[in-house]
Amino acid sequence: MANGGADGFDDDYLVRRAQQGYLDAYAQLVNRHAGLAYRVALRIVGNHHDAEDVAQESLVVAWQQLPQFRGESNFSTWLYRIVTRRAVNRINRDRRHFSTDVLAEHADESAQTEVAVERNETADAVADAIQALPPAQRVVVVLHHLEGLSYADVASITASSVPAVRSHLYRARRTLGTALAEWR
Amino acid sequence: MTEPSDHAAAAYRLLHSADRQLACGASVDEVLEQVADGEADRLNDHQRHCPHCQAAIAEFRLLWSPVQDYARRPVLVPHRLRAAVLKQVDRLVHDVWYTLQLTETGAVRIAARVVAAVARDAAAAVPGVRVALGRSTESRIAQLVARATQRHLHPHAAVGVLGQTAVIDLALAVSYGEQVHEVAAEVQRRVIAELQQSIGLQTVTVNVTIDDVLPKSPD
Repeated sequence: MANGGADGFDDDYLVRRAQQGYLDAYAQLVNRHAGLAYRVALRIVGNHHDAEDVAQESLVVAWQQLPQFRGESNFSTWLYRIVTRRAVNRINRDRRHFSTDVLAEHADESAQTEVAVERNETADAVADAIQALPPAQRVVVVLHHLEGLSYADVASITASSVPAVRSHLYRARRTLGTALAEWR
Repeated sequence: MTEPSDHAAAAYRLLHSADRQLACGASVDEVLEQVADGEADRLNDHQRHCPHCQAAIAEFRLLWSPVQDYARRPVLVPHRLRAAVLKQVDRLVHDVWYTLQLTETGAVRIAARVVAAVARDAAAAVPGVRVALGRSTESRIAQLVARATQRHLHPHAAVGVLGQTAVIDLALAVSYGEQVHEVAAEVQRRVIAELQQSIGLQTVTVNVTIDDVLPKSPD
């Protein structure tokens, strides 16, 4: 996982400075990692509107919890943990409360453009297949197969174990493979 | 849905074989894992000579390639996301880290760091004080401030300010030979006076902790 940047400061330095209250340092971290937060949220929750909410909340929560961050993992691993947890909470909340806000996704023109840019038949089929997975399997697929994180990192982010991650991935791959074979 | 291609049908049969094994005994799940993890070309000794494994790897490679393409697809991040996050963070910090005085001509806000700097300078000017540092405080107002800022460490956390009230913790190192309690009392008096005079704060509490003694300054 990247822990540095073109501007010469690595994440650890920026985290230390941000912990001391330097907002500019946190702004740098947000610039670097907003993409990660949004991408992971989008792939877990499956729509732009919720993904933006989740990414925004996660980055604000990360700032609030920064004093408790002890640097035992990379900042990005820690952020993955926050985003993943909030994204799963969002899925569970939406399962409990049926949303009537059907227009929300089209309320913003820029978001609509991004949806259009990303529309692609094959990509949609993969996205749909991932969205059909149970949340626990979806999370490990997103983190391992889409984000490229190791089993150990996924286990750390999900507060799980490597064998548990492996087991979820076995089942998820079988389900995804079946869905893709049926689609083709 | 279209009719599955021959490749897709073969992959489907592999995934749903009763014993989840290839004809050679290799695990279907492990072969799929190998392909999905991008290691289709890293054949083991058995696979190098096994037509069943090689066929399964080829089928799964085709099956899984859309997932790998999807993983590589760039995701456009809404432009407003970064600005929205920083705006919220800024509000969390600054709404409470200012003193506020409302006058007939408008509002006057003075950043906590200014209050901290004035307090430290006033303390450092007291004879016998070698080093003056701020640190967090346990007072009720400071706790209120801390809660409002989610207990975030701030370089100026020596000061809790709300409206025209401030609570300041100062950690001091004094010179050898000084009457420590007299130095502390003088620091409290001067800091309170300075903050009331130069910042316009009404209620100021100064907690002083003397936690080090240093040789007298050569000056």
